[in-house]
Amino acid sequence: MTVHADDAGFRARDRFDWPLFISAALIAVIGIVNLYSATSIATNARAELYLNQVYWLVAGGILAVIVASIDYRHIERFAYVLYIVGVVLLVLVLILARDIKGAARWIPIGSFSFQPSEFMKLFLTIALAKYLHDDPKNEGRALRDLAVPALLTLLPVMLVLRQPDLGTALILTLIFVSIAALTRIKWKSLLTLGITGLIATPLIWNYVLKDYQRMRITSFLNPEADIRGAGWHAHHARIAIGNGGLFGQGYMKGTQNQYKFIPENHTDFPFPVFAEDWGFVGSLVLFGLYAFLILWAIRIASQAKNRFGAVLAVGVGAMLFWHSFFNLGMVVGILPVVGVTLPLFSYGGSSVVTILIGLGLLMNVSMRRYSFAAADGRLARL
Amino acid sequence: MSVLVSRSDMGEFRKRPRWLALVVVLCFLVLTVRVFYMQAINSDEYRALARENIIRRVTLATTRGVVRDKLGRVLAANRPSYNVYCVPSKLDMKDVWPRLVGYMLMSPLDRDKIQKRIMDLRNDPGPRKDWQILVKEDISRDLVATLATHAAELPGIDVVPTPVRYYPHHELGAHVLGYMAEVDSDALVRLRALGYMEGDRRGSAGVERGWESYLRGTRGWEKVVVDSRSRRHIDPESQTLIDDPKRLDPIPGRDLRLTIDLDIQKAISSAMKGQLAGSTVVVEVRTGRVLGMISKPSYDPNDLSGGNGVASLRAAYRRINSDPLQPSLDKTMSGAYPPGSTIKPFSAIAALREHLIDVKKQVDCRGFYQFGKRMFKCTHVHGPVDLNQAIVRSCNVYFYQLGEAVGLDRLAKVGLDFGFGQKTGLGTNVESPGRMPTRGWYSQHYKGQFRVGFTLNAAIGQGATTVTALQLALSYAALANGGTLYEPQLVHAVETADGTIVQDLSPRVRRRVNVRPEDLTFIAKALWGVVNDDRGTAYKERLADVDAAGKTGTAQVSHQSIGAGDETRIWYFNRDHAWFAAYAPTSSPEIAVIVLIEHGGAGGRHAAPVAFQVMRAYNRLKAERAAKKSAAPASSEPEPPPTRGDP
Repeated sequence: MTVHADDAGFRARDRFDWPLFISAALIAVIGIVNLYSATSIATNARAELYLNQVYWLVAGGILAVIVASIDYRHIERFAYVLYIVGVVLLVLVLILARDIKGAARWIPIGSFSFQPSEFMKLFLTIALAKYLHDDPKNEGRALRDLAVPALLTLLPVMLVLRQPDLGTALILTLIFVSIAALTRIKWKSLLTLGITGLIATPLIWNYVLKDYQRMRITSFLNPEADIRGAGWHAHHARIAIGNGGLFGQGYMKGTQNQYKFIPENHTDFPFPVFAEDWGFVGSLVLFGLYAFLILWAIRIASQAKNRFGAVLAVGVGAMLFWHSFFNLGMVVGILPVVGVTLPLFSYGGSSVVTILIGLGLLMNVSMRRYSFAAADGRLARL
Repeated sequence: MSVLVSRSDMGEFRKRPRWLALVVVLCFLVLTVRVFYMQAINSDEYRALARENIIRRVTLATTRGVVRDKLGRVLAANRPSYNVYCVPSKLDMKDVWPRLVGYMLMSPLDRDKIQKRIMDLRNDPGPRKDWQILVKEDISRDLVATLATHAAELPGIDVVPTPVRYYPHHELGAHVLGYMAEVDSDALVRLRALGYMEGDRRGSAGVERGWESYLRGTRGWEKVVVDSRSRRHIDPESQTLIDDPKRLDPIPGRDLRLTIDLDIQKAISSAMKGQLAGSTVVVEVRTGRVLGMISKPSYDPNDLSGGNGVASLRAAYRRINSDPLQPSLDKTMSGAYPPGSTIKPFSAIAALREHLIDVKKQVDCRGFYQFGKRMFKCTHVHGPVDLNQAIVRSCNVYFYQLGEAVGLDRLAKVGLDFGFGQKTGLGTNVESPGRMPTRGWYSQHYKGQFRVGFTLNAAIGQGATTVTALQLALSYAALANGGTLYEPQLVHAVETADGTIVQDLSPRVRRRVNVRPEDLTFIAKALWGVVNDDRGTAYKERLADVDAAGKTGTAQVSHQSIGAGDETRIWYFNRDHAWFAAYAPTSSPEIAVIVLIEHGGAGGRHAAPVAFQVMRAYNRLKAERAAKKSAAPASSEPEPPPTRGDP
C-alpha cells in the first residue's frame, strides 16, 4: 500500500472509522429516545425539547464532518490561537453572562446562548497536544517539564471556577491529568505531585469551593443526613436506577421519571431515566457503548501518526471518559454530585456540539493514521 | 501497538495507552458492579422506595352522626363550609388576583395582607409556593356560586368544601348538645392512638362530648398516585400502579335520637325569656328520660365549632368567658346550688321513715326559732302549723325542730337515697355531685365542735347542702312515681345514617328508695297543697288549666361584697336563688319540672311561673300529638284507632 502525503485527504475517506461512527451514533440515538422519555411526562410541556437536541445533533454532526475533513496538522498550526480565543470567551462570560441558577456560564447570542467552557475542553486539549508535540521527552519528564501544560490548564480552570462551574473545572483538570499520564513522568516527580495534592486539598476545600459545592460533597459522604436538601436529587436518582430492576419498567413507564422524582432528568440525570426504563440489561448495553467508544479513542491515540494526533485523541477520549464516569458515578452513588453531563445523553446544545466536534477530531486522527510520515508508517505496518 | 515501536518521537507515549485502557476498563467495571448491585440484587428495596414515592394513602373523611330530638327533628348536623384557597405559584397577580378580590369584595386591609403572603411565597425558593394557602374561610353560598360560575377565569383558585358542625337551633339547648373544638396538641398525644389527627375537631361538651365515640365515625383511606409535588394523578394508567388493598371505606358516625323534645325546649326557652340566668330540667317521671334541659344564659355552639375563621372563634370564646353570668356553665348539672325549701319533702321523709314526729303535732311558728344563742329565722310568722302546713306554707321553724329531732346523718341518708350528693351519670357535661353533709363531713371540713345549727340549716336546704337541678328533677320524679330513682336518660336510640336502630336504650332504674307508700302519699298531698291550697307558696302563680304539685325554694346566697363594684351588680349577685320543683299531673304524674332562677328572688314568685308554663306547654303538645295520631290512622285505616281510657 503506497501512500503519498499529498493525497492524504483523498485517501482518508477510505479509512472512515466505522466503529467510532457506529458506537457514537448508537449512543446519540439512544440518547434521543431516552430524552423523549425524560421530557414527555404527561403533565409536562417540555416534549419538544428532544427536537432541539436533534437539531443540535445535526448541527454538531455537520461541524464534526468539517472538523474531520481538515487535516489535523492545519489545526495544530492554529492551536494556540484557538486556546486564546477560548480564554477570551471565558473572560467574556464573566463580563456578559446572564445569571442562571446561581452560576454565570452562558454567553447570549441572539435568541440562544452558548457555553464557552464546553468548547474550552477542546481548545485546551488542542493546546496541550501542540505543546507536547513540540516538546518530546523520551527519557522521562521532570515536573518542570509539565509546568507550561499545567499553567495552560490552570488559567481556564480558574476562569471557570469563577463562574462558578466546579464540574467543568474538574473535567479540564482531569483532561490535563490524563494527557500527563500519557507522558513519561519520573517517579520522583510523581511523588512530589502526590504530596502537593495532599496539601492542596484542604486549601481548595476552604478557599476555592463555594458553599453549595461543599454541601454536595458532604451530602455525598453522608447522604442520609440531608435527603430533602442537596442529597435529594441523588437519592431519588438512585431509587430510579434500582427501580429499573433487571429488565426495566418499560419505555416511558419508569415511575420515578414519570412522576417527576428525578430532578434535572434531561440534563444531569438522564441515566436514571434510562436505567429505570430499561433495567440492568439497558445499563449494561450503554456502559458497553461508552467503554467501547473510549477504548476506541485510546486505540486511535496509540495508532496516531504523530504526537499531536495521539495527545488529541487521548484528550478527547479523556473528555468522554471523565464526563461519562463522573456522571454515571454520581448517579449510582459512588461519586459526589457534580454537575457533569453524560455525553450525547444530556440535553444541551453546547455539550452536544462540543462532544461531536471532539468525535470529529477523533475521526480526523483515525482517518489519517496512514496518511503522513509515510515511510515510518509503512515500515510499522509490515 | 507495534505501530509506535519504530517511531522515535512517539517513544514517550509507547506503553501508556495500555494503562489508560486498563483504568477505563476498571472504572466501567466498578460502575457495572455497582449497577448490578442496585438493579439486580437490591432492586426490591429500591422498588419499595419508588412505590412509597408515588403511592400515598389519603385519609377519607367520615361524616359525624346527626343528632335528632325525640321526634326526629335535627338538633346537630353537618354542613359544608366553603373555603377559598390559592396556589401562589399558579396565581396570575395581574389579572386573576384583582378579579378574585373584586368577586370577594375583599377589604383593602385583607387584600394587602394576603397579597403580601402570596408574594412572599412566590419568592420562596422552596416548594412552598406550590402549596395551597387559605384566602378566606366559610364564604357565603352566593360567593360559592359566583366563584363556581367564573371558575374558568380563575386558574390557581380553589373552593374546597369542608364539613362543619351545624346546630340549626343555635342557642336553644346548647348545653345539652355541646359543641366541637379542635383537638389541642397536648390532648393529641393521648388521642392519636384513637385515630385523631392534627386539626380534628371533637365534641367538647354535651352530647357531642359524651357520645363522641358513637358520633365521630371511622376514617377510611384510599391510595392515590402522586408526583413529587404531591399532585394527584387520576389518569387510568396511573391507577394501574395502585396495589391492593386500594381503599378502606370510611364508616359514618352513628346518629343519635335524643329523649329531648324540641318543642319542650322551645317552651322552656320562652317561659324563661324574662330571666337572666338559671336552668330548667324536665324529666319523665316513670322513665328518667330527659325531655327538656335548658341552661341560661346560653351560647351559640355554631360560633365555637369552627368554620367561620379563627378570629370569630376567638371572639366567641372571649365573649363567653368574660360574661359574669357564666354562659359556659351548665346550670342543670355542672353547677350545684343550695336547694332551699325544695329539700323539705326529703327532710320530712327522714322524720316519717323513722317515726320521729307525729304529723298531727303542731309547732307554733313565731317567725324565728331560738337555739342556744342563735336565732334561726322563718319567712313569716306562720302561727301553729303541722307537717302538711309546714310544707304547704314552707315554714322553717317547723323544720328546724324536725331537723333537731332527726339529726344530720339521717337527713343526709335520705338525701343520698334520693340521689343527692352523687353524680347522676348523665355523662354529657362535667357533673357536680352536689353535697349532702354529714357529721363526718363537718368534722373534716370545720374546725371546732359540731354544732346542731348545721343540722337545722340542712333541714331547710341551706348551709353546706347543695344539689343540681338534674338531681332534684330525678328525686322529685321518685317522689311522684312511688319511690323509684331512675338514671337520667338523654339518648333514646343509636341509629345508622339510614335510620336503622342499632341500639335502643331503655330506662334504667338506679334504685328503689326505701320509703313507705303512705309517707309518699302524705308528701304528695302536701306538694299538691303548695300549688292548690290558697295558703300555698305557689298558689298565686298557679295556672287554672295546669294540674300540678310542687315545692318552692328560696336559697340564700352567701352575701359577698364585690369590692367597690357596680351597685346593680352587687344587688343582683346577692339576691337569692329561686327554685321550683314540681311534677304533673298530680293524679298520675308524667313529668317532673325543676326550675332554678339564679339570683331570681323568691321561688314561688319567680321560679314557679316558668314551671307552670312548661307544664301547660307539655299538656298542649300531648293533646296535639294525640289528636294527630288518632287522625292520621283514621283516614288511612278503617279500624278504629286505639283510644286510651280518657276520663
